Amino acid sequence: MESGDKVWEVFVQKKSGLPFKHVGNVHAYDKKMAVQNARDLYTRRGEGRELWVVPTSEIVSVPLDDADAFFDPSEDKPYRHATFYEIPDGVKHL
Amino acid sequence: MDKFQEAFDEIIEKDLKVEPRDWMPEEYRKTLIRQVSQHAHSEVIGMQPEGNWLLRAPSLRAKQVLLAKIQDEAGHGLYLYSVAETLGISRAETIEQLHQGKAKYSSIFNYPTLTWADIGAVGWLVDGAAIINQVSLQRTSYGPYSRAMVKICKEESFHQRQGYEIMCQMAFGTPEQKEMAQDALNRFWEPSLMMFGPHDADSVHKGQSMAWKIKRESNDHLRQRFIDRTVAQAEYLGLTIPDPNLKFNEETGHYETSPFNWDEFWNVVKGNGPCNTQRLDHHKRAHENGAWVREAAAAYAAKTENKVA
Amino acid sequence: MKITIENKEAKFLLRIADTALILGQRVAELCSNGPFLEEDIAQSNISLDLFGRAEELYKIIAKIEGDKYTADDYVFHRNEREYFNLKLVEQPNEDFAWTIARQYMHDVYVQEVFSQFQSSSNEELAGLSAKVLKEIRYSYLHSKDWMMRLGLGTEESHRRLQDAVSHLRKFVEEIFNWDELDREYYQDCDKIKSNWESEVNATLDACNITREDIPSQSMRDYRDGFHSEHIGHLLSIMQYLPRAYPDAKW
Repeated sequence: MESGDKVWEVFVQKKSGLPFKHVGNVHAYDKKMAVQNARDLYTRRGEGRELWVVPTSEIVSVPLDDADAFFDPSEDKPYRHATFYEIPDGVKHL
Repeated sequence: MDKFQEAFDEIIEKDLKVEPRDWMPEEYRKTLIRQVSQHAHSEVIGMQPEGNWLLRAPSLRAKQVLLAKIQDEAGHGLYLYSVAETLGISRAETIEQLHQGKAKYSSIFNYPTLTWADIGAVGWLVDGAAIINQVSLQRTSYGPYSRAMVKICKEESFHQRQGYEIMCQMAFGTPEQKEMAQDALNRFWEPSLMMFGPHDADSVHKGQSMAWKIKRESNDHLRQRFIDRTVAQAEYLGLTIPDPNLKFNEETGHYETSPFNWDEFWNVVKGNGPCNTQRLDHHKRAHENGAWVREAAAAYAAKTENKVA
Repeated sequence: MKITIENKEAKFLLRIADTALILGQRVAELCSNGPFLEEDIAQSNISLDLFGRAEELYKIIAKIEGDKYTADDYVFHRNEREYFNLKLVEQPNEDFAWTIARQYMHDVYVQEVFSQFQSSSNEELAGLSAKVLKEIRYSYLHSKDWMMRLGLGTEESHRRLQDAVSHLRKFVEEIFNWDELDREYYQDCDKIKSNWESEVNATLDACNITREDIPSQSMRDYRDGFHSEHIGHLLSIMQYLPRAYPDAKW
């Protein structure tokens, strides 16, 4: 079986002012090839002005077993949202 | 029932998406791998019948449009191999399975493109049928597959039009061109309808796939939609659908057709179509010819890239 | 249809247009034959750029010639001796090393050509050049990176690249056999040659490829419509439909 090609995640910025967005991945053997392959696969229709690639193996995820511990505790903190607060009628610009 | 199964069932029940790291039944994963890899290989093998006319495209415009279209198919193959990888099977393995005959691709690509009109028919009918299927699959329950379908449908919106444009040029061209157009329709009509797969009553994987919402609409349902849309398009071209029994049923609001030649369909699936061996050999040959290039790229990277971890 | 070209500038530009077209056709052969899918897509992009460039150039030629013919007429209705592409670009894809070496040598050359066209008195040509130079720059980066990978990759890739370069360099000499037309429409012919040589020599050194001595070639000049035998096969495939169905519209 062959080896040597890596998977790279691709992020594209469409216009200045917009955030980079994850669009998918490509296979490539080296960094230069990775940006070129990403350019050829994901920006053929004018979708890009800037591009990042990063080896998939370098991306760190939340441990699968701990996902609940990471994310559930934020669900009972409604006071972080503007809708939590009551503002008297007639008060503006809040 | 264990809590993993319960969580999975809830995702399906509520029409949410299953993501790569979610627990999923082994059969769900296997079914998806089979379907997604078949879909990926279809995109890639599908490059060949169109590529057959790439160097002979009759105008600069046609040449560029066809090349851009085939290039899209390659890109769609990549999106789908990437989906398969999220299910735990590498691209190298998927390709190996294709070469060993363990993984299939759409049987339609085992038919030859004999004339330039066939390039029109492939875009109009084969892409047309594929798009109906893919639009439906945008709602599939597996997140990465669904997202790939959304992207593919967006990009393929020009593919069917490209085919129909060629059909228009041919059907409204010289008598010889019109004859080629009719001949292409004659040869591609029934195989295109059979692209949707066996009738619902005979479909092996249908029940479970529908229950898991991998498939959202049945083969017959999708096929009917395609027929209903396509008949009028053929009429506009002044071409005859090669089915003497084709008629519109006022009550159902749908067209009815003759029974299809399923014996031929299954025989082509089994490997005995006009181009099965050719298609697979072409893919193997390109892959083998490229081995030294891939090795060189790997060796160069090993020498020059900073080792990570 | 017998296509004739009257104007000097049109005759000159035809060389550039034909070179783009014929290379585009050669590179299109890679489609579904690439060493892996990402590279297949990359080669298609390069081919599309070349076809697009050729089309724009034929349109400029057609305009100079008073619109007697369309871009497609120039492509599909001229025979071997009426084509004026570099012999370099009609050479076949013997293997991926040929594809890359041919592309790299071509890219360095056209980079110089279109740089000079930017200040052409033909405004359309000058305008086109700005766009084309970006495409060439990308293709150049792509082909140069592959020169490095193949030259420094494995023993086999090095041997194949060396073979390809040694073969293809025979078709380089004619590029710089300037004639009157060249001298009229390039600002500086010598600069094209010297820049080409210093760039290519540096890359060949960097990727460990030897420049074997190549004796002077007696192959007659592409400017007079001389070719290798490959051109006839390429044209007969490319022109088949319009030739076989002269009344048809496509």
